[in-house]
Amino acid sequence: MTVTDLTRRPPAPRQAAVFRQFPTAWRFALRNQARNRLAALLLVVFVPAWYLLMLAITGHKPLTFRLFATGQYLTVDSGHLTLISAGLNSVTMIVGFAIFAAIRRTLAFDKRLVFAGYRQATLIAAKTCAIAVIAAAVALYTATVLLAFWRPGTGGWLAIWAGFTVMALTYGAFGLLLGVLVKGDLEGFFLIVMGGLMDTFLQNPLGNPLANNPILAWFPSFGPMQFAVGGAFAHQALWGYLALGLAWAAAFTATGLVIFQIRTRTRRHPG
Amino acid sequence: MTTARGTVLVARDVHKAYGRHQVLRGADLEVGPGQMVAVVGENGAGKSTLLRILAGTLGADRGEVRIAGTLGYCPQEPVVNDNLTVGQHLRYFAAARRLASLERASELVDLLRFGQYNDQVAGALSGGTRQKLNLTLALLDDPDVLLLDEPYQGFDWETYLRFWDVVGDLRARGKAIVIISHLVIEQDRFDLLADLADGRLTIRATSAENAHDSH
Repeated sequence: MTVTDLTRRPPAPRQAAVFRQFPTAWRFALRNQARNRLAALLLVVFVPAWYLLMLAITGHKPLTFRLFATGQYLTVDSGHLTLISAGLNSVTMIVGFAIFAAIRRTLAFDKRLVFAGYRQATLIAAKTCAIAVIAAAVALYTATVLLAFWRPGTGGWLAIWAGFTVMALTYGAFGLLLGVLVKGDLEGFFLIVMGGLMDTFLQNPLGNPLANNPILAWFPSFGPMQFAVGGAFAHQALWGYLALGLAWAAAFTATGLVIFQIRTRTRRHPG
Repeated sequence: MTTARGTVLVARDVHKAYGRHQVLRGADLEVGPGQMVAVVGENGAGKSTLLRILAGTLGADRGEVRIAGTLGYCPQEPVVNDNLTVGQHLRYFAAARRLASLERASELVDLLRFGQYNDQVAGALSGGTRQKLNLTLALLDDPDVLLLDEPYQGFDWETYLRFWDVVGDLRARGKAIVIISHLVIEQDRFDLLADLADGRLTIRATSAENAHDSH
């Protein structure tokens, strides 16, 4: 028997692909999210209900606390402060859950797409953009619903909205990270709900008299909370704190995407 | 690694263990163009593991695999996205394969007769139709080498026969095909049987091949 190398076939003549990879992946990543009915239901029912409930529990007592970022003492309506906490908490849970579910459930499918020839970088970029759009949309909705309970003024509302957006990006990225790491739905949901609750409520001086403890600066919601509170009550734009929140989002995203890249790669056998 | 001219798939000395459980202990396989091979063996013999290693979705502990040309792999459990429709799946994989048209996709959908489900999400499809979609995604770019892991599970008799028509056409066009098979009755359809036992493959000719040789 003649022994030679396997014949390499010449590549097929290049023709224009009928569907381009990035727009296709981007569209289907968004569509996949849009079909998460539970997340949509949570958005419509849970967000206003959570605001209402938290406000009813807290009432409108005056509360004096020291804003960590500026060192100044603020006396604020405790109900308003709690609304910010409740909004931050809502976006952590809804965005975290929606992204986690979508990433975890499509991991094997994404691996198959990569096997079929999808560029991993394209798939990753499309998913990241979809996560960012969804996070921003949920944050905008949550900040808009807040207006039904409190009108903080334009500057204040913009600060709250920005804080919610960064929080949503952070937990979207956290959902991505858990989606590629955690095996079961239950573990992931538990980590998102508990993580989001601890993170956001420990930052509120009403629920946690030690809210000025420096250790809280190491929590993901610290930056967005400081920015939102600074903007809403002290009329200051504390950009550094917003950037701190974005750093958390970037760190979770980078770690999640590296693991995604490892988990969806396939070996190409030599010819 | 070198091998015989005209071979499009070669596996040499493939080893794989899950923990202390040694599944493959030096499996060898060679498949040429237009050749159809059945991998047979008991449950748990490591057939799916072997196919995943051949496909490249699982790494071997030792050994080498070479594949010439394009590769299609149909996993045993349908790997589809429950939130996307059949049509969206076809477009997604056409983008992955950079196909210039959906012509082959529509042809396969017609051959396997599931065109009426084009706008249904995969999560709402029956087991058999999910499997048709699963198979279609593997065949979409008309690959040179095909690895199919029990690709007809859940097919009704009519679809089962149509599946063999599709595969017969691929073989006639020189595609190399490896199928994990359980059914003794269909073994005459293959050129070779690769019997997986104790982590190694023993190649046997089928009665169809014997009859062919005696002519």
